[in-house]
Amino acid sequence: MKSSVESLPLLQGVIDCIDVGTLVLDANERVVLWNRWMDQHSGVMGAETLERSFCDLFPEQRGKRLEAAIGQALRSNLPSLLSQTLNRWPLPLYANKSAAEKGERMQQQITVTPLNLGSNERYCLIQVSDVTAAVQRENLLREQAVALRSQTLLDDLTGVANRRHFDMAIDRETRRSRRMGTPLSLMMLDIDYFKAYNDHYGHQQGDACLEAVASALSTMQQRPADLFARYGGEEFAVILPDTPADAAVMMANAMCRKVRDLRIPHQASRTDERIVTISIGVASSDSSNAGEVYDLINAADRALYQAKACGRNRVHSQ
Amino acid sequence: MVRLTELEHDALVELFNIGVGQAASAMSEIVNETVTMSVPAISFLTRASAAKLLASRSGGNGRLCGISQHYSGAFETEAILMFPEEKSQEIVRLMVGEAMPLAELSAMEQEAMSEIGNILLNSCVGSLANLLGHELHGSLPDYHVGYSEQILAQAGSGETAVLMLHIEFVIERQQIAGDVAFIMDMTALHDLKQHVAGFLERSIGGAHP
Amino acid sequence: MKPSTVLIVDDSRVSRMLTRQHIQVRHADWVVEEAANGDEAIAKAKGLQPDLVLLDVNMPGMNGVDAAAALRAMLPNAHISLLTANVQAATRQRAEEIGVGFMEKPITAERIAQLIAPLEA
Repeated sequence: MKSSVESLPLLQGVIDCIDVGTLVLDANERVVLWNRWMDQHSGVMGAETLERSFCDLFPEQRGKRLEAAIGQALRSNLPSLLSQTLNRWPLPLYANKSAAEKGERMQQQITVTPLNLGSNERYCLIQVSDVTAAVQRENLLREQAVALRSQTLLDDLTGVANRRHFDMAIDRETRRSRRMGTPLSLMMLDIDYFKAYNDHYGHQQGDACLEAVASALSTMQQRPADLFARYGGEEFAVILPDTPADAAVMMANAMCRKVRDLRIPHQASRTDERIVTISIGVASSDSSNAGEVYDLINAADRALYQAKACGRNRVHSQ
Repeated sequence: MVRLTELEHDALVELFNIGVGQAASAMSEIVNETVTMSVPAISFLTRASAAKLLASRSGGNGRLCGISQHYSGAFETEAILMFPEEKSQEIVRLMVGEAMPLAELSAMEQEAMSEIGNILLNSCVGSLANLLGHELHGSLPDYHVGYSEQILAQAGSGETAVLMLHIEFVIERQQIAGDVAFIMDMTALHDLKQHVAGFLERSIGGAHP
Repeated sequence: MKPSTVLIVDDSRVSRMLTRQHIQVRHADWVVEEAANGDEAIAKAKGLQPDLVLLDVNMPGMNGVDAAAALRAMLPNAHISLLTANVQAATRQRAEEIGVGFMEKPITAERIAQLIAPLEA
């Protein structure tokens, strides 16, 4: 830094250029500094404000949070933050002339900080930021988030494809396999005794179990067109285009094994080992029996039902 | 761990109750609703025990929202106001009077939460400082989200004690519980005890029945 | 001047001691009794018939406002005042409705002086 004599004009210059309203009050709450930002956005010029008290200049602040914050800075040496959310438009500040004419105040974030210069000189620094743009961005983001939520293809909890995505994909793949004459396989699977798991361990842990199983299984699909999706509560579905029945069954068996290998304890399970297991139903269509979407889903569902009836923790194919 | 006498403990509880009472008064001004706050209990814990206690009490996903301010002067401490994450959203919505569907606390709401922390912590510490006759210098609030161990790790990892205040917050007949942790090293804890003892000496003149 | 009787109601022992101190320093001959909660206050007031009752608002069990209301009914001529750090329009209004006074905490010599002034008149 240059010597104090030379740096004063520099500092004054900086204070008048910064994009933050800056005012300083002395121990008696009188204005001793008022920068150009304040001139421009309050319509009150610095020269008029000097030596006037804060309450004089802003009478509507009497008894309010800002006045209390100034007191706390000057008397207790503690800084304060005034969020725009809780303190709407506290000061009469405007973005520009047009806003001023319409009486539209800017959204303000204010900080009040004690300034100690030497043993008995305490001041209060007030900084005002225009957060209108931030608030607008926030509102826009909020609207977009709501819109996105209705368009999303991912399941909130597990992060795998959701039912919406599945419905679109099975439709597309059924038509494609029919047109191209290629085989299409579908798996429907769910977690054995899942209701009992929830009852025994609680829903939070039930969610964690779903996440763990989905995570383990969704990474097993080899090809980009293969899709692992959450079909419903504890039910998942796997779409395997260009995959004949035997390959699908092999994959289903590997998936059963993988969940068993997780060895997640399940005291309320009625299988021997008391760990979390899944049952899988597999259905396939090829050029000879290509049907509608619901035919394939029904077939996979029936196969799943069979797997359950035969003792769970296994694969059954139609 | 430095131990306080029963009277010193009582004095601290009363000082903090005065502090949060004033904060409640300030907040009721802002929202034009009745707000009451009290400190039913305080305790001295190690940082690890404090983290465990906070974790064991939080429902939901275990994540906390923390607003911290650093204080120095008469004694040095990192003060952190903590609420379970879902409760923070509830508080802001109650203060602002709006019902919004978003699951996460937006930046503007985080700022509101920071201000609530700023009011509460300054009130507690201010009350303490005034009544003990010594001044403190404070920082502006910082906002954090995470598990209790992460939030309490703000003040570094040295040997520390935590003075924990349990806070009951009532607004619009909704009761919300939170905690304030004052993280201090052994020197600061010792300083605090000295100041409280001094306060008792001055006001009651050491005459304990 | 006949010595007055004061009842201090506060769950904080330090608070009670402080208030007692501020009173006895000015009037060593006054009778000063303490209660730690609303129920105790009502029980003691029956026998004591205090001239002045000072109650903390924020107490476990029966809060200070309800206790003050009960005492006001019991002691129509006593001076009763609520003490609280949480100064809010709603509480002030309640105090007025019950017919009791209202004083801000923290407890200071000046504030106690104001509260006992009516007894010194």
